[in-house]
Amino acid sequence: MSSLMDEIGERIHRDGIRWVRTDAVTLDGLVIGKHLSATKFLGSLATGHAISEIAHGMDLGGTPYLAWWNDWRPDALGDIVMRPDLDTFAVLPDRPNTATVLCDNVELSGDPLPLCSRSLLRRLVDELAGRGLCARAAFEVEAMVFAESPSAARRLGWRGLTPMSLPAALGYLHQNTRHQYRYLDEVLRRLEAIGVPIEGFHDEAAPGQIELNLDPADPVAAADHVVRIKQTMRDVAADQGCVVTFMAKPSAEYGNGLHVHHSLTRDGSAVFHAVDGNLGDEARRWLGGVVATLPAATSLHCPNINSFRRMVGFSAAPTVASWGHDDKSAAVRVLSRSASAARIECRVAGGDANPYLVLAAVLAGGLAGLDHDIDLPPPIGVASWGLPPTGWPHLPTTITSAAEALEADGRLRAALGDPFVEQWIKTRRWEWLMYHTTGGDASAVATTGWELTRYFEVV
Amino acid sequence: MESIVDVEHDPVPLVLIMANVLRRNESDPKRARLLAHTAGRVVFRSASDPQVVTIEFRRGRVMVTRGAAPDADMTIVADLATMSEEKPPKPAVSGALSHLRLALAVSKLLDPPVGDWQQEAERFWAYASPRPGCPSGLKVTCLDDGRVAEFGVRPAEYEIHGTAHRLRSVFSGGSVLGEDLLAGKLYAVGMLRHTAELTGCSLDWMMGR
Repeated sequence: MSSLMDEIGERIHRDGIRWVRTDAVTLDGLVIGKHLSATKFLGSLATGHAISEIAHGMDLGGTPYLAWWNDWRPDALGDIVMRPDLDTFAVLPDRPNTATVLCDNVELSGDPLPLCSRSLLRRLVDELAGRGLCARAAFEVEAMVFAESPSAARRLGWRGLTPMSLPAALGYLHQNTRHQYRYLDEVLRRLEAIGVPIEGFHDEAAPGQIELNLDPADPVAAADHVVRIKQTMRDVAADQGCVVTFMAKPSAEYGNGLHVHHSLTRDGSAVFHAVDGNLGDEARRWLGGVVATLPAATSLHCPNINSFRRMVGFSAAPTVASWGHDDKSAAVRVLSRSASAARIECRVAGGDANPYLVLAAVLAGGLAGLDHDIDLPPPIGVASWGLPPTGWPHLPTTITSAAEALEADGRLRAALGDPFVEQWIKTRRWEWLMYHTTGGDASAVATTGWELTRYFEVV
Repeated sequence: MESIVDVEHDPVPLVLIMANVLRRNESDPKRARLLAHTAGRVVFRSASDPQVVTIEFRRGRVMVTRGAAPDADMTIVADLATMSEEKPPKPAVSGALSHLRLALAVSKLLDPPVGDWQQEAERFWAYASPRPGCPSGLKVTCLDDGRVAEFGVRPAEYEIHGTAHRLRSVFSGGSVLGEDLLAGKLYAVGMLRHTAELTGCSLDWMMGR
């Protein structure tokens, strides 16, 4: 650690870094932090620096959560600590005198904070390591880019915007990507400079929609990469005078997902590789846990009021807790034929979800499967869309029913930890309350102005 | 005793609030009979935002659901933001003339009996005090006449000060503690921790949870 600290110090002096932007992620996935002078940053490297805990105490509309208090909070307002993860230190290519580093939030005592999603994910990765398992993960990031400037988009209420593509919804069309090159080239240049490994990108199904695919990485790094991609895509949009959104359903027709793939190895062997076409016992229990806890995990995959508008049949989003071999209609897609690419893709999360929590929910589900010997049901065997309302394990369809499912699932709660789950459920019920009592329309069947105002530019 | 007031699956806040208001009638035998014998469909709509519910009185059961039933007998449009004021603006009512009996019943049932501020504070304390995070003691001071009510451990960890009307409103579930504090309608002496926890209780109390 000290050699890494020395190395960072040398780099700051050598590269003329004057400011270090410290970044942490709230439960809602917002990036918060400070800009510190290089001197202040280096002086606080060993312990981290303070930030007001209210940074985690407000909802997406800026209203303080004034309906509960957490045990870790001081009786009045106080500070928590931003503890930098120096492995994530990078110089910003668009601001050469500024570096950035991702941080974990901890209590002043140094104890982990239950609402630090990055720490939660790391704890689960450590738990796996303790059992001799190594996880790798990779996200698919979807976003929609529009030609209007932020101020013009706001004036239009984020409706009827001009997609950065042809108006037709086709997908994989290079003709569309051509419209996005100027924007994408700059995004990719900056991502490469800060060490985010992009495996590929392509035009997605909605007008103006782009999908970026990441190389597999350690789970915490995989989620870090999503945070960096979203930041960078927003920064470039701001610099080029356009807008980008990761909202789960910014319009009535199209949505953004955040699919996540993960693999497991034990002693170098791929756990999800189906030798002779059959998944092994550990893989079956792991997958059984992931599928069984999906209704509860939906709260983390679909965190907002708007997230659930994406969860409709025949729209590429899953609606039932199902799995299948290479089946993209299922919530969980299993690719098990090749040892080198054996993995599980979870397709529930919306683009508005916190990537640390998405992956934490998947890993916690797998761990629950191992701990409780959860049986794997048969693969769904039919298309997972348009199924009758009864007789199938439908996923929750509202923010409140998803929170109830999480509250009721002792297996997932145990793996995620009660302090985190309790805090999460309170914030989701708060979001429900805010929607219904500050102008959201309970009878709306499509995305409302309330949702666009609250989510379009920040989630 | 089981309530005859039901709510929809996965209810919205206004459904819970209206159901809670209606259930308060059940503690009074005469009002409980009125609740059980009323028939008709009433839409209750917010004047300032999209919140709207339908109350269906089915002689023996009452169902509260989100949205406006197209075939409602009566519609009431009220300003939710000012309903807890001492002299709130009168709601706009349509359909009352052709459904006089229903209108009379509903006007009573949506205005259930509320005790004085001390009685309501006592009820609220009985509800809130067992919940984790609440202060061990509560002192309430009426700014109209200086009267004081104290609950739990003394000296109280938390104090609420306000006019008799505002105290009655917040303790009966007509308004929310945190909102009243932010609006300067009530005052508090205590820690933010307790303000937050009591506000959570106040919200749940209002929604009958």
